[in-house]
Amino acid sequence: MNRQRKAYPSLSSPRVRAIRAAERVALYAAVLLVLVVVLIPYLWMVSGSFKTSLEIQSADITDPNLAPRWVPRTFTLDNYRNVNRTVRILDYFRNSIIVSLGTMLLCLALSVLAGYALARFEFRAKGPYVLSLLVTQMFPGILFLIPYFILFVYVNKWTGIQLKNTYQGLILTYSSFALPFSVLMLRSFFATIPREIDEQAQIDGCTPVGALFRVILPIARPGIAAVGIYAFIMSWNEILFASLLTGRATKTVAVGILEYITNQEARWAGMMAACIIVTIPVLVLFTLIQRHIVEGLVSGSVKG
Amino acid sequence: MEAPVRSRVTAATGKASRLVAGKRTLPYLLIAPALVGTIFVHVIPIIWGIFISFRDLDIYTIANWRAAPFTGLANYVKALDFADPDGLLFLRSVGNVTYYGVVTITLGYVIGLAVALLLNQRFFGRTLVRGLVLLPYIMPDSVAYSVWRFIFQARVGIVNGFLMSLGIIKEPLVWLVGTRTMFAVMVASIWKGWPFASLLLLAGLQSVPRELLECAAIDGANRWQRFRYVMWPHILPVTKTLILLNILWNFNAYNQFKVMLGDDPGVYAEVPSTFVVRQAFDNLRYGLGAAMSVVLVLMMTVVAVIYLRTLKPGTSVED
Repeated sequence: MNRQRKAYPSLSSPRVRAIRAAERVALYAAVLLVLVVVLIPYLWMVSGSFKTSLEIQSADITDPNLAPRWVPRTFTLDNYRNVNRTVRILDYFRNSIIVSLGTMLLCLALSVLAGYALARFEFRAKGPYVLSLLVTQMFPGILFLIPYFILFVYVNKWTGIQLKNTYQGLILTYSSFALPFSVLMLRSFFATIPREIDEQAQIDGCTPVGALFRVILPIARPGIAAVGIYAFIMSWNEILFASLLTGRATKTVAVGILEYITNQEARWAGMMAACIIVTIPVLVLFTLIQRHIVEGLVSGSVKG
Repeated sequence: MEAPVRSRVTAATGKASRLVAGKRTLPYLLIAPALVGTIFVHVIPIIWGIFISFRDLDIYTIANWRAAPFTGLANYVKALDFADPDGLLFLRSVGNVTYYGVVTITLGYVIGLAVALLLNQRFFGRTLVRGLVLLPYIMPDSVAYSVWRFIFQARVGIVNGFLMSLGIIKEPLVWLVGTRTMFAVMVASIWKGWPFASLLLLAGLQSVPRELLECAAIDGANRWQRFRYVMWPHILPVTKTLILLNILWNFNAYNQFKVMLGDDPGVYAEVPSTFVVRQAFDNLRYGLGAAMSVVLVLMMTVVAVIYLRTLKPGTSVED
């Protein structure tokens, strides 16, 4: 108390106030700088998507007359209108939606059950299973790439089921990648729901599994949505497997977008429009579950 | 912990429940689907990949992998042999990715921490700014790196425009071919990666009790001392996790190289994952590619073990 009283008068002296004002200015300047750096690629993408191809192709930083500009010289919506013409990005968009929704559903079906088991029961395999989830999460995709490719070839040979260049092949692949994180995340969501709730349901005549579906799932809806959206975004963004395991029929947007650049030409204007179309679903979904994703990341990777 | 009446209740409710009535079997039945999935898509492929790495599996033998000649450690010897052109390139790619990782992780962390400290201050519009800085992290890799590829173009790109307007360069530089490729990819990766560090570090900073900082200030601790002795202990665990995770992710980085540089990034920016993919799918040498990926995993196992130790999965499970 004594110290505080001593310190107090100096806080309002003109010199201190000047320093404080300068600090405020510096603070806002720093925030502004951060925002500019964050937003430049976004703004350049938006700007490019409204330019004519001609304007971008002929742009030249060495010639002041042709220097690239932030505001398009000729504003055009053609890039959006013709978005499916040179590169069939809308078809790839549909493929991505099918694959991502499929991954989301399969992944949720498996991880809800496993997450519930981990949150509610004690069993001998629990520790090793959690450990294996953490470990598989860390294996690099590259390790699986060649075996998957060959596995797909053999599954086709033995059973006739086509996995390469099909939706089911990608859905299986992505579900397996999203599964460990989903199980771990759902386990912590279920763990936040008091045990008394499903015990009560069981007293009222539900089986443990019945309690899961009738009582726990409705309560855990936000958590389930978050996990589902995580799986969706993960498969929407994946590049490595999509570039090797898809073909004409199933190519996803993440790799389809690269088709704008060929050996002959780079269609930057069309590419920027496509980039915006590809980003929008992710932006919307992420905004919906931002809080949960952040909580999940923080609790999942910071604990210790 | 179970409700004691459960067995009586379940006994009354049909066949399905009798199947799951045992307290012991139910959790196993619940994890079974996920477990079976994991076995099929994780365990079997890993074991198979190791098998393949001992064989000379190529485009001619892929139709029947058991007929592919067993070559023992030949693929591994080749991958780690400086005298072999493929081995040399592979080892060089490991060197490249180490350089890439050290730079991007360090700068990403420093920027992330600086911005986290900034966003921990009180200012007008803080919530909005906190959301906006996540934008690079949210943007899909394919989109982010495509835009950066556009930005780094020699004559069309704004990086050169910016540098020329500042008078730093006289002629436009070529960024995406040759010696500067790694630099361009690093810039884009740092832009994409720091918000994640910031996000976690900010969460760490927010766990610092305000009273503690005020006490320190009253006791005469300056800014550095407050950071070093009050905040740092709170963000140290986050820092450890962050760096280990980043080592794991960056060592296997593929997307930024593929999107910005195409299928062949060139010797200056060849990294293990792009190299393995080219060996397997362009040169159709699956055995060699598999051996190389096993080598990569072995290298990362050390980091993974440290990571698991840090996370202590056994103890952090329940809280």
